[in-house]
Amino acid sequence: MCDYCVKHGAGGKWYLNARNYSNEVAEEYNLKDFLMEQYMNFEQISIRKVYGFSAVGLGYSLQMPIIGRVLKHFAEKMLHSEKPPKNPFKAEGHMGQVVPLDDGIAILENCAVEPIIEKYCMCRYMYRGVKEACCINFGVMSEIIEKLPRFIPVKEKFQLTREEAIQRFTEHNKKGYIGTIWYGPFPYINNLCSCESPECAGIRPRVDFGIKSVYKAEYIIDIQQDLCRGCKSCVSMCQFGALRFSVSSNRVLIDHNKCYGCGTCIHACKRDALRLVPRNDFPGLKGKY
Amino acid sequence: MGRKTKITIDYSICGDGNKIDPRECGKCLRSCDPAVFLLHQTVGVKEEDPFDPQIWRITPLWTSLCTRCMKCVNVCPEKAIEVSL
Repeated sequence: MCDYCVKHGAGGKWYLNARNYSNEVAEEYNLKDFLMEQYMNFEQISIRKVYGFSAVGLGYSLQMPIIGRVLKHFAEKMLHSEKPPKNPFKAEGHMGQVVPLDDGIAILENCAVEPIIEKYCMCRYMYRGVKEACCINFGVMSEIIEKLPRFIPVKEKFQLTREEAIQRFTEHNKKGYIGTIWYGPFPYINNLCSCESPECAGIRPRVDFGIKSVYKAEYIIDIQQDLCRGCKSCVSMCQFGALRFSVSSNRVLIDHNKCYGCGTCIHACKRDALRLVPRNDFPGLKGKY
Repeated sequence: MGRKTKITIDYSICGDGNKIDPRECGKCLRSCDPAVFLLHQTVGVKEEDPFDPQIWRITPLWTSLCTRCMKCVNVCPEKAIEVSL
């Protein structure tokens, strides 16, 4: 279990604690106005300056000897912040974790607060100009999105029942999108996304710059070597480059340090050679979120 | 580290309510493999009107990931993008 689970999981995983989804939490922190302000200005958050730094050319700033490390420290501190959020132009307390399909379904079945909606993925629109409905929101967040027409899908039905949401999430996961659950802002959970690297603004800092903006899943992929016949279909599903085909042993090799535990590769395997096992079963990976 | 990549977009042609609306074109966004560009509402362009939700522009955001493959330069119908060599 990661440190979020210990503090906010009530004995389980933090994202399976229904209290973190409740409207009371949103009211306690007065998040309705905060989220409205934040999502009205959503696209410019990366170009606005925070303490004199914006994300424009961030990669170069991070390469600077001392400033780079200080910057990385403050960026992580901001994302992991557990104080009541103040500035809607900063991604304060916007912390997430990768969730495999089963946990995503458990969230939608047991924890998500109605109304449930599906909005356009804004990351994909900002970075690719593509509008694709795949981001599932709950509770207070859904009420806000309904007032912001640019997020609302034109063709698809956007107000979903619990069953429809599960069905949509399963479809996205099978396509190869990574399920992620987000605090937005801490301690209120309101986003179940289906992300794609490199467009995702949450996964990008982690993959490209090493800033822990998203935690790896509680699970990790494991291969049953004698079942793998080397068809390579799972390799194309991995967005993190954790799977590789080994010619000499005619099977797929897993780089456990690169695996985020999203489990999308399982859908590609025709022989059930891949399965998710708890991360903590591997002593070398324990605690490495 | 090497030299920094500089990407400049001519905003008198593309975005800011001028000839091309990047929301409709967006060819550079789709052609870029590392997704360097960001599409957003203009902010701080006009002093009296700092934020206009109807006027959009493209900013080269993650320039350190740019490999100078020049795909965005070639794909731009108005030749509004310049990448330093």
